[in-house]
Amino acid sequence: MSNSDPVKVGVLFSREGVTSRIENSMLLGTLFAIREINDAGGLNGRELVPVYYDPHSSPQMFKSLATRLVLEDKVNVIFGCYMSSTRKAILPVVEKWNRLLFCPTMYEGFEFSGNVIYTGGAPNQNSALLADYMASRFGARVYMVGSDYIFPYESNRIMSDFVHQRQGGAKLGERYVRLDAQESAFAPIIKDIRAKQPDFIFSTVVGRTTRMFYQAFADAGLDPARMPIASLCTSEEEIAEMGTRIAEGHYTAGPYFQSINTERNRSCLAHFRKLFGTQVEPNMSWESSYNQVHLFAGAFAAAGCDERDVLLPHLLGMEFDAPQGRIRVNPNNHHTRLFPRIGRVNDGGQFRILAETLSGVEPDPYLVSHSFDDWSNRLRVPADEQTHRE
Amino acid sequence: MSNPARPTSRGARLTPEFLRQLRSLRVAVLHPKDEDGETLAQQLQRIGCQVQTFWPPVPDLPDNVDLVFCAVDQDVLGMSFNWARQEQPPAVIAIISYENPTIFDAMIKLGATGVLTAPIRSTGILSTLVLTVGLNEAMRKAEKRVLRLEQKLLGINQINEAKSILMRTRNVGDSEAYRIIREQAMSRRVPTEEIARAIIHANSILSGPMG
Repeated sequence: MSNSDPVKVGVLFSREGVTSRIENSMLLGTLFAIREINDAGGLNGRELVPVYYDPHSSPQMFKSLATRLVLEDKVNVIFGCYMSSTRKAILPVVEKWNRLLFCPTMYEGFEFSGNVIYTGGAPNQNSALLADYMASRFGARVYMVGSDYIFPYESNRIMSDFVHQRQGGAKLGERYVRLDAQESAFAPIIKDIRAKQPDFIFSTVVGRTTRMFYQAFADAGLDPARMPIASLCTSEEEIAEMGTRIAEGHYTAGPYFQSINTERNRSCLAHFRKLFGTQVEPNMSWESSYNQVHLFAGAFAAAGCDERDVLLPHLLGMEFDAPQGRIRVNPNNHHTRLFPRIGRVNDGGQFRILAETLSGVEPDPYLVSHSFDDWSNRLRVPADEQTHRE
Repeated sequence: MSNPARPTSRGARLTPEFLRQLRSLRVAVLHPKDEDGETLAQQLQRIGCQVQTFWPPVPDLPDNVDLVFCAVDQDVLGMSFNWARQEQPPAVIAIISYENPTIFDAMIKLGATGVLTAPIRSTGILSTLVLTVGLNEAMRKAEKRVLRLEQKLLGINQINEAKSILMRTRNVGDSEAYRIIREQAMSRRVPTEEIARAIIHANSILSGPMG
């Protein structure tokens, strides 16, 4: 292979199935970064070429397409996965063939593979902040609603531990709905929420059921100012799907929001809009999908090659000026230092940032027992928010 | 698509106490510093345990070690470990490359209750650790309980024997015999078992029917 040959990389995000909408935004985040890298001269002069397949939000398809990418397309690197179930499906493939997977989704932690780089958050980078913020402002009586799979189970375990450390903390309910549930699934849950009157609702509902849940909440006349939904995964993309009227006033924790008011973020967004228009709403998963391709490119520039064993040492400790801040791959656990934030949806469908960490938070994916360590020392709360808090 | 979605619910789920304590676990690794040893030590550090590595294998470990990962191979077969014979030995997870009776025998002699097979992968270390620590805790509790029950049983046997001595020598009934023992115990402020032992002892010295 001569040094001017293109570098093929695998890309697996769904355009069909229950999580197609968010994954489509992640696909465009990935293609956007590839475009930027190629426009800037490629990988040491070599063109970066995505080999894309649509895995339809199905773990089985993720697995068979990852195998195809490795065996037929001969890629060394794959960018992809939203749900944990799809990442777990690919894991044995990349380990068996010693390839590298870049996974951009925040997840429930407790994973390490020498063949994976994790660029979404671990629970200490999102759940911890959200629990602290909501419990200290609204109270620690929480009602949990999640999709029926591993990420919500584990997130709710962490949230349970958190609220039970608080004076008066309690779990008033813990309900799960299928990923392919219909509107009717939420009626009994909303009824129960109305009866139990929690201080806030913790949602780990993902995919297309997200809209149904927020819709049911609004239809029941419940008030987000008194009993908001706090989510780890309701982003600008889900807000666009459900409409601002329904989303307004609810909270989300994440390392990235479109509304981050920095020159880096504004110009990144403008560039994206120019190239890709308004077909998706940039969001935390979009941004991490974008970031991880740039982390890869940075490591490739140093390694000159994308074989796992050669590339990995350059990837560990690699930094990137991401739209959220300067992120870094942690060499010990392959996760990424991120900038946790809390946002509340405003009347423009954007997140008003209510709290953010001054410096990044290192990932700690194997932390079993979180505590309300003093987040307030690490948070910056905008001055106008302190005075105008409801 | 058309499945009626049934919401499921779960009861109170809090993290078990011993899982919360994983980061205070003191772990000794007796394994060569090769690729497997590195993988193991690094994963234990990610989990957040306090890890110390010893190689070549050592007969004695720091007193407060809770868990030992021990390579069971040729170097270890002939060794005798003092730490494995302590009164409260640490939990042991064996790391083996061969699955044969010689290795199994050595593994069992070490008191291993968990096993990892080489080559070691990061995945699987935590679940083996959790299971072994949980199992050892349960075993320790069970052992304590057995010891307590054995003492209790012995005590009951002694009381029965003492009662039958009294019934024979004093010509009293069962409940009266027990009343005598209990009264003595109360006035001397000692357990009934001790009075029972004293009666048995006295009876064996006198060795013969009285009166």
